[in-house]
Amino acid sequence: MKESFLEISEVKKSFGEGQARQEVLRGMNFTVGKGEFCVLLGPSGSGKSTLLNIIGGIDTPDSGYVSINGDKLEEMKEKELTMYRRKHLGYVFQMYNLIPNLNVKENIEVGAYLSDNPLDVEEVLTTLGLQDHKYKYPNQLSGGQQQRVSIGRAVVKNPDILLCDEPTGALDYKTSKEILGLIEECNSKFGSTVIMVTHNEAIKYMADHVIKLRDGVVRHNDINSEKITAAELEW
Amino acid sequence: MRNPLIRRIPRELKGDFHKYIVIIIFMVLMIGVISGMYVGHDSMLAAVNEGREKLNLEDGSFELSKRASQSFIEDISTGKRADVRKYFIDKGIKEADKEVEKALEEELNKQVTQAIEERVREMCKAYGITDEEMIKKQIDSAMEESYEEALSEAKESKEYKKAADDAYKKAHEEVEKKVDEEWDKISDRYELEEEYNPSPVTIYENFYRDAPEDNDGDGDDDATVRLFKSDSVINKASFIKGREPQTDSEIAIDRMHADNVGVELGDSIIVEGKKFEVVGLLSYVDYLTLHESNTDFMFDAFGFDVAMVTPDAFNKLKSRVHFNYAYKYDDRPEDKIQKADYAESFLKALITQTLVYDIEIENYLPEYLRQASNFAPSDIDGDSAATSILCYILIAVIAFIFAIIIGNTIDKEAEVIGTLRASGYSKKELIVHYMTMPIIVTLIGAVIGNVLGYTAFRNVAVNLYYNSYSLPPCHLVWSNTALIKTTIIPLLLMFFINLIVIVRRMQLSPLRFLRHDLTKTRRTKARRLPRWSFIRRFRLRILFQNMPNYLVLIVGVVFIELMLCFAFGLPDSLSHYADEAPDMIFAEYQYMLMDYRDEDDNIIETKEPSAEAFSAKTLLFPRGANVLFEGRGSGGDEKVTVYGISEKSAYIKLESNLTPGQGYISSAFSEKFGLKKGDLITLSEEYENKSYEFTVSGIVDYDGGIALFMDKKSFDTVFDKEKEEFTGFFSHNEITDIDEQSIATVITAEDITKVTVQLNHSMGGFMNVFKYALVVLAAALIYLLAKIIIERNEHSISMVKILGFKNTEIGSLYIIPTAIMVTLFSIIGFAAGYYLMIWIFHVFMLQMDGYFVYYMKPASMILSVIYLLIGYGLVSIVDYIRIKRIPMDVALKNVD
Repeated sequence: MKESFLEISEVKKSFGEGQARQEVLRGMNFTVGKGEFCVLLGPSGSGKSTLLNIIGGIDTPDSGYVSINGDKLEEMKEKELTMYRRKHLGYVFQMYNLIPNLNVKENIEVGAYLSDNPLDVEEVLTTLGLQDHKYKYPNQLSGGQQQRVSIGRAVVKNPDILLCDEPTGALDYKTSKEILGLIEECNSKFGSTVIMVTHNEAIKYMADHVIKLRDGVVRHNDINSEKITAAELEW
Repeated sequence: MRNPLIRRIPRELKGDFHKYIVIIIFMVLMIGVISGMYVGHDSMLAAVNEGREKLNLEDGSFELSKRASQSFIEDISTGKRADVRKYFIDKGIKEADKEVEKALEEELNKQVTQAIEERVREMCKAYGITDEEMIKKQIDSAMEESYEEALSEAKESKEYKKAADDAYKKAHEEVEKKVDEEWDKISDRYELEEEYNPSPVTIYENFYRDAPEDNDGDGDDDATVRLFKSDSVINKASFIKGREPQTDSEIAIDRMHADNVGVELGDSIIVEGKKFEVVGLLSYVDYLTLHESNTDFMFDAFGFDVAMVTPDAFNKLKSRVHFNYAYKYDDRPEDKIQKADYAESFLKALITQTLVYDIEIENYLPEYLRQASNFAPSDIDGDSAATSILCYILIAVIAFIFAIIIGNTIDKEAEVIGTLRASGYSKKELIVHYMTMPIIVTLIGAVIGNVLGYTAFRNVAVNLYYNSYSLPPCHLVWSNTALIKTTIIPLLLMFFINLIVIVRRMQLSPLRFLRHDLTKTRRTKARRLPRWSFIRRFRLRILFQNMPNYLVLIVGVVFIELMLCFAFGLPDSLSHYADEAPDMIFAEYQYMLMDYRDEDDNIIETKEPSAEAFSAKTLLFPRGANVLFEGRGSGGDEKVTVYGISEKSAYIKLESNLTPGQGYISSAFSEKFGLKKGDLITLSEEYENKSYEFTVSGIVDYDGGIALFMDKKSFDTVFDKEKEEFTGFFSHNEITDIDEQSIATVITAEDITKVTVQLNHSMGGFMNVFKYALVVLAAALIYLLAKIIIERNEHSISMVKILGFKNTEIGSLYIIPTAIMVTLFSIIGFAAGYYLMIWIFHVFMLQMDGYFVYYMKPASMILSVIYLLIGYGLVSIVDYIRIKRIPMDVALKNVD
């Protein structure tokens, strides 16, 4: 296992009050090493997206802590959290959430603007196979192409951690594999730690580290020593 | 690296140019109008102020009953008060000395005669003469021989001298005592004993004549022209066209009057039956508005004119010369307070000096209270202030609309905002981003608006002023105030209103944006609606969903209705006033005489059967707390005409048992100050510190003026007048048998309606344009708000289309709620605007002289609502087309 970079310790989170109170995370513990491709697997309601949001600093745990490189998120103020997201994180969502009146290249520049040492936008466009589409607007692209832009926007920041929330959830099999391949490439090429939330069991085979969640706790925490490439995945 | 989000702005402007173009046009017009008004205002005021110095405007003027002597001029020039006490003592002593001398003479005469007679009788007795005839003869001859000698001897005697000295001394003491008693009263009343600093002045003759003017040569008098000499060094004129008159048959007349009555350079007019060629069109520095009298409610550029003729021509005219003197302080007062102090001090000097010189003051008017020179600048000030306030309200409305637009954009882009925030964009960066559009739009509006303000709109404003006032020529002045007010204030309004809304919106966490969970207060359950049909409940939901839009709409609609009430109401009020004018006067002719006696000291009489003598005088009623704003009207207190009406008057019916402290007030007086029967009012003299109290015994239906009526007997008692004295005649017909020299003024219905003619001329055309502009404004406002409602529901509209709803059904779902709201708001807005206008009118009238009620024809009331609905009708057609064009795939697309 690689050197511990991200630490999740006794993280608990619940929603609602009184009888409607629902405990989503019930004492979550694990660590992720730097540069790892980590997959959070679990059925709907297992708390994986909530955990990802807490790691991303856009949600807070009721107790426990998340620490990145030794810095605890719970000790950060709102401005520091913003700076944390700005400097260290890249986000990819299931829905692409692109800015409709900016073209592909500009949407990627939206991410580059935030970083002190962004990657070359042209290089990212090439890596993502968007060179031919860089002057198109989001509504001129297919779902898969839009998700590539969304990945480009996250990756161009050269983030320490790339958080992906069901990035293939809205895509077909072929496109999903392409997207997974791109995330894999970003992980290997740019060295970002990837934490990907998915309910697709097949994706675990391409990960270094697989964490299975159920009912708000970690059921399995496995290191995958025989990982395969995205292209080899079948489901 | 530059923030790439900035590139969205021009694309958004281009992509939604319909919306932004309406907003930009709105801003351009508003800012352009404010800028134009201010630049026009500053240019005009610069010309007026320059004229004040260059054309030697007076600091005040007074009119005397006769030409002043050189020594009076010298004395009044010092600004010092005359020693009235000494004057009265000297006068009293002179009279007393005469009396004493006469008494002493009589007494001495008596004593000397008596002594001579006694001496002769004693001598006759000694000689035995008893015949009385003889004795009288002896007395007569003795008188003849020694009377003078005895008299001079007696005069030389010590006893006589002592007695005479005592008598003179006693008389002088008596005079001083009496004068002192009177003086104490007078000095208390006029505060003459207090310390004061005399303000020396320079006095200028500024005589004028008021003569009849026939400007179309039809033989009928069309106006009164006030003629001044061309060699005057005070209150000079600037020439808009032409030149000064050089011969006796040349005249230069007021430019505004000439425009109004259609006289041009080179035309001839007839003054006092004599033909004059118009060689110049001018603007007198002290007649920027043609106020014939300072108490005129409105200037009258139709029926009144000011003109310049050569001194020779002036001297040849026969109309009465008004001995008007202008003065200028040697030390200029710095501000209005100092001007008031100087004016008060000078008035005291004038009162005392005229008393000593035995001259009557006919009129006194400090320049700062002079309507003819101050009405225009203060009206220009008021106009630009009022216009800019109206425009700022509209800009604020636009800012709120913008805030709603941005609010909707934020709603629409919630997930993008969430993603950006999750990616590390700070709240501040996003606030700045969303603030950029309103700021840019305002800046575009400000730049184009200011350019238009300095060009087209400035000319509109200046022409508007030239159409109303007799202003001097002006040139463009760079106005810093205009630039600040037309750029900074709209920017600030736009900035803060949007900032508040955007900051509030941005307080949500990134997660809530991502989840599109944007409502601040979370309703656990949907609002329960009555068991209406599905369609009605659907509409009601749309209503609830768009409450903020409707709130902005009601503000806008109330505002536009208020303006429509003004645009419809002002011409209505004017025509109503003009229609009512014949009923407003109680006598077709009201003749005010110079004096009740003619030159030969005979009481003036007329053979006109309907003529009825009356007494009148002007007193002041304190406006006091009734006035909300100052700086308009003639300043000071309300002038009240107090009438003394003959007992069996055919014109005014009063109760027969009124006591001297009781009187009827005119309905205008009652309405203006809210006075009713039983109220106690205090009226005071204008130039004396004397006041009178009256109980309101009733109200006379007379809207033409602020007046108090009492019977003549009471009038004579209260004002210490002789029974035979009177001021003039009421008459149903023109009186032709009184010498014109004896008539001061004649008041007819025309004098009451001249205000309406003038206002109609100045504002009539403008009001019509204004009405249509308001319809466009209303339509634009509703267009923007309705567009927001439809944009917000694009997704739902697309979805119901997929479900199979027809366009007409969808139209009725989304357009009818707005239609109901617009109709409802128009009616509420009209009611609010109407009552607000009545109040504004009343407040405005309180500071003006006279009274004028706000009136709106029932047809205008309906039209003011219909106009707005017409505006909405046009918008709803556009809305329907817009709904029709929404494609069905909107509901199916993730990003569009």
